[in-house]
Amino acid sequence: MKLVFLIVIYKVVMPVLLKLVGVRISHKAAYQGQKQFIVVANHNSHVDTMALLASLPIRLLIKTHPVATANYFGKKKWLAFISNLLVNTVLIKQKDNALQLLEEKLKKGHSLILFPEGTRGKPGEILAFKSGIGVLLQAFPHIPFIPVWIEGTGKILPKGSYLPVPFEAEVKIGAATLATGTSVEEIVIEVQTAILDLRKREHL
Amino acid sequence: MQYFKDLTEIQQMIMVILGVLVFATTLFWIWKKIKPGPQVDELMTRTKSWWVMASIFTTAAVVHPAISFIAFGLLSFAAFREISSISKNARIEDRSIIFWAYLAIPLQYGFAYMGWFVPFLILIPVGMFMLIPFLLVLKGHTQDIARSMSVIPTHLMLTVFSISHLAYLLSLPELPQFNAGGRGLLLFVVFLTEMNDVFQFTWGKLLGRHKIVEKISPNKTWEGFIGGLLSTIAAAYFLRFLTPFSEIQALGSGLLIACMGFVGDIIVSAIKRDFGLKDTGNTIKGHGGILDRIDSLAISAPFFFYYVYLICYW
Repeated sequence: MKLVFLIVIYKVVMPVLLKLVGVRISHKAAYQGQKQFIVVANHNSHVDTMALLASLPIRLLIKTHPVATANYFGKKKWLAFISNLLVNTVLIKQKDNALQLLEEKLKKGHSLILFPEGTRGKPGEILAFKSGIGVLLQAFPHIPFIPVWIEGTGKILPKGSYLPVPFEAEVKIGAATLATGTSVEEIVIEVQTAILDLRKREHL
Repeated sequence: MQYFKDLTEIQQMIMVILGVLVFATTLFWIWKKIKPGPQVDELMTRTKSWWVMASIFTTAAVVHPAISFIAFGLLSFAAFREISSISKNARIEDRSIIFWAYLAIPLQYGFAYMGWFVPFLILIPVGMFMLIPFLLVLKGHTQDIARSMSVIPTHLMLTVFSISHLAYLLSLPELPQFNAGGRGLLLFVVFLTEMNDVFQFTWGKLLGRHKIVEKISPNKTWEGFIGGLLSTIAAAYFLRFLTPFSEIQALGSGLLIACMGFVGDIIVSAIKRDFGLKDTGNTIKGHGGILDRIDSLAISAPFFFYYVYLICYW
């Protein structure tokens, strides 16, 4: 049932809406041959999550979970229910052992979509990365990360706004990479550099 | 030749467009065989895009008029979205006002479809010219407000008001003794404007010496401009079967389209310079963004429309 919802939303409705609004997704081929991964992207807007889910191939859709904060999406029961049903999220609380839930998902062979900034930044700005991504990649060294640079979605639907306005935006998907760093800090810097490097990539 | 004359004007014009594209494709194909290089590769990419654009445009022009209006509406939408996105003048607080500006597009094309001439004329230069500054005032951010007040209506004029005149050509009342109708006029002005760009480019490459506006568009030369102008006037003369014009009027329309196409081209070039861009986007392969392609049309279309209007309907 949930799979049907997800396919209708992210493979039928969302591509049309994203096209109309002006979001372009480049290099979806990055998912080819990948079974499990952690998508890491900068974060300006709810549109980011929609676009990343829409970029996934159908076979990965049900097994890929955007990571969201329970402080925001878990506040009301109906909001948590909807974000689970329609966005396939894992909700984590920022205080207690938050990463345990994510590790369980990874152990089951599922993939994650993670915004290491922890919240939506102002358009064009990138906030300091939290260390969670480093901890996960260190604990699961066989799982690659897929860096994504997202530009322009902060104008479409910034934090605090409920009215989407069409503006051109681009989602640049990079190649799946295994982290080489050994310490958490090294891995975080590695991921951040991979994302920032995509900024300069020409449209494919 | 007899067969060609038996076709309707519109069918003849489609043959002409096909002929030009086949000619260009063959020419560049032979050129590549003889002397390959990056220059001919770029021309081939451009020609490929011309095939796509010409097919879309011709289909939109000959199918049911309602579909043509929707197609032009989408073109305006994409162009307005593009210029709002690359503009460094719009502030982030202007988002919700830009949302209202988008609503002018269905209204403008609705008026064009219904043939309501006065609402069509005043919606943007009178209506939106009041509404956008008023909404900006209600928002209350005065820092740089005058800039937003001028820039958003100008973007609407350049991408919506101007292009909607192409659609309105289809709503003009029929004239006696004139078979091609609005579709003929539409094919005429779009084909000549685009050919004028190609002519100016070609003459400029062949003979170009003296630059016209070096700081804005270094490839524009007097030789290219005048060569393009004469070629476009000649093309207008031969294609006058698409219009209700006399021979003199057809020559005049060629002159008008060539000059106004040039003006539109350098206006958009100057805007791009200001934004620090080479192209307005990368929607169309080899041609840059949508605005790069409709720059000449943005000025030539309304001028051609009122030329027809004053000669035939006034």
